[in-house]
Amino acid sequence: MKFSMMLTTLSIVAFSVMANAAIDPEMEGMEPVSRGDGTFLIGGPTYHFDRILGAGGIHSESELWTPAKLRDRLLFNRMSALPSWTPMEPSVWIKTGNELGDMIYQDVITAEDRPANRTPILEGGFRTPSIKGFWATVRGFQDDHYSSRTSSFRRKEVSDEFALFGENYPMFSSIYGGLGFTNDVINTSVLAGEEYIWEYAESSRWIPVHMAPRVEARADFWNFALTAAFEKAEYQNDKFKESGERTEVNGSVLYKCSESCQKGVFQMSAGMAFRFVSDDGDVYTGLDNDRVLWPFMQLRVQPLRWLKADAMFGMNDSDWLVQDSIEMNSPFPVKGMGVTIGVKNISGTRLNPLADDVEYFSILNKKDTIDLAPSGQMNLVQAYLAFADTVASVSLGGRATFWAEHGAETFHKEGVVELSDMDFRFGDVSRINSWIKGITGELWLDAWLEDMFKFRALAGFERIDGPTERFEVTPSEFFVAFTGDWLIRKSFRVSHSLRYRSDAQWNLRGHDPLVVKGDWYWDATFEQQFPRHGLYLTGTIIHVLADEVVQVPNGDYDRLRFVCTVKKTF
Amino acid sequence: MKKLLFALLFLVSVTAFAETPADSAFSKSYVSIEGGEMYPFGDLIDAVENSYYGGLGFRYSYWDDFDGFVHFNYAYVKVRAEGIPYPGVHQFVGRLGLDWHWKKIRPLAVGAGFTCNWTRADSDDEVKYYSGRGGMLLDNETEFGWFVRANLPFLYFKEYTAGLNVLWEELWTLPERSNMLTIGFYIERRIW
Repeated sequence: MKFSMMLTTLSIVAFSVMANAAIDPEMEGMEPVSRGDGTFLIGGPTYHFDRILGAGGIHSESELWTPAKLRDRLLFNRMSALPSWTPMEPSVWIKTGNELGDMIYQDVITAEDRPANRTPILEGGFRTPSIKGFWATVRGFQDDHYSSRTSSFRRKEVSDEFALFGENYPMFSSIYGGLGFTNDVINTSVLAGEEYIWEYAESSRWIPVHMAPRVEARADFWNFALTAAFEKAEYQNDKFKESGERTEVNGSVLYKCSESCQKGVFQMSAGMAFRFVSDDGDVYTGLDNDRVLWPFMQLRVQPLRWLKADAMFGMNDSDWLVQDSIEMNSPFPVKGMGVTIGVKNISGTRLNPLADDVEYFSILNKKDTIDLAPSGQMNLVQAYLAFADTVASVSLGGRATFWAEHGAETFHKEGVVELSDMDFRFGDVSRINSWIKGITGELWLDAWLEDMFKFRALAGFERIDGPTERFEVTPSEFFVAFTGDWLIRKSFRVSHSLRYRSDAQWNLRGHDPLVVKGDWYWDATFEQQFPRHGLYLTGTIIHVLADEVVQVPNGDYDRLRFVCTVKKTF
Repeated sequence: MKKLLFALLFLVSVTAFAETPADSAFSKSYVSIEGGEMYPFGDLIDAVENSYYGGLGFRYSYWDDFDGFVHFNYAYVKVRAEGIPYPGVHQFVGRLGLDWHWKKIRPLAVGAGFTCNWTRADSDDEVKYYSGRGGMLLDNETEFGWFVRANLPFLYFKEYTAGLNVLWEELWTLPERSNMLTIGFYIERRIW
């Protein structure tokens, strides 16, 4: 009974986590590529629009700052796991892959309608086993996917290949190495490296940022988690002989609720995130007062096993942000069945109070200062009901939500400049000062056979009432997804994700809306496992069925691709 | 639609390997050298000539009735098409796959896996052109694909084995897929 109860609860809690099955992402931080439970539009490794259907509101998840993202990277105004500077577990690994469709020998017999160049992915690194607590790590990684369509435009802006390897002008290229020390009391590391990143700005420009060096130190001890990074970032537009430099120190201090605290009724954590910048020359974005200090507090009150309330509150001299929720499970356990009801609220002046405040726009003699921090505030309230019922090896679950948002962040477009078949906008980030309402419904069916086979079918729909033409993205109305994971003979893994999402539409990034047509996607991962030896040989094929389309304005084609990884853990 | 049906079938199909044998991974392992010839098929016949190749292999036990293997080989592939400003292409191939030792057809083993093909034109020409035929190969090109193969060992001497590999390979190239047949002989030595 306990097992089925646990599965039922997990089935509700982990619903969104399981939606992308066990497909290996092509690179850490690119998990949204294989998600099916919402609107996930990929512009490249350094930008995606990721909105989970049941999350409420019209924003993308990565636009919203939360304490869980303290060690994510800030790429313009988004929190991104990529490029990750979180040290891997002790292991050595290598990864390579390619967008499928290079010509190889077809090249010498194809005179017309020659396909565009397909581009690879590369990663390699190691982390040594601990020797008296000390360890060393090196990681080099670069994703050239999503780069060929825009590379001829972007290459004019930089003075060299803007990458550690090759000439594909990848959206990011990173290498770092360093030392760490780990024992029962402390886990600390210092890493240093060099990084090339193209950041997607509010104007739809790709801004090249070269960090040399970037240094990041982390320390986790007692109940504290400290992070500090130093970044010397070079900016340039070689076409106009512009250059600039930003020296930045950023990081966070977090006091976490201890293990004994987590057993209590009141569980409190607190911390502060910070950024200090010093700009010189053309940097293309600006941070008010050249600094942001963001103190925040988290509180969980759990008076009963089945009742809990969470609150996060942050505030500084210019912004505030609250995220809170109350969730209640069924107080009377019924075998195999779980019911959860809850409400959540997000209110604040900015979704991401750590981001820069302005973008300096200048294309074809059109100059503008794009205000990224709109006045006023947003309020999002959501109520939800979820259930799951488990019988033997089958579980059926569902969730229904109602949400309403006022003051949603959007963009007030004052004009568009067209250059080289790309649209660049100017104006200001603003708000939709009317109520937007939505209802969502999701159903899922799980089936499993011991640890050998897991299957999930899920479907969701959403109906939104509001001025959708003012949304940055009108999200998909429905999706269906099927995932299956086999673990054959306990050492050969085959994972699948087959899914469909309906049309989504970008409304504000150009002269005309960009409709991303609904499509089927199929991803699969095959893995030879040698658990006794800590060896894993993995191949993943991504987006087999889908048409190769541009999913984000000024982004690149989302192509069929294959990635393989060899990893040996220590 | 065919692809979709295939995907659905694959997704819900029941595995044929339900029983769990003893973990025999790496209980045996072998290294090999191999040489043979590669034959282009389909429209590839107009592109390149048959080519000799040579390479190294590593085979290991995975399950009792399955072996895993890794191959690396090199071939100098002469260009047949006219008007190409280089005589040939350097080709490096890496393959990773599984061999199934089905007892009804022993000693023949059948296998399948993924392949990675890296190519670069044999050209010292500093002037790069990318727009015409053959231009892409002036820079590194990489493509993946899949293969099936038959592995027939036919001579045993102490820890050495000689055998024949016949391999059909499809690279996921554009505008058409590229098909090749590879036939090679190998000598393999058991390490443990």
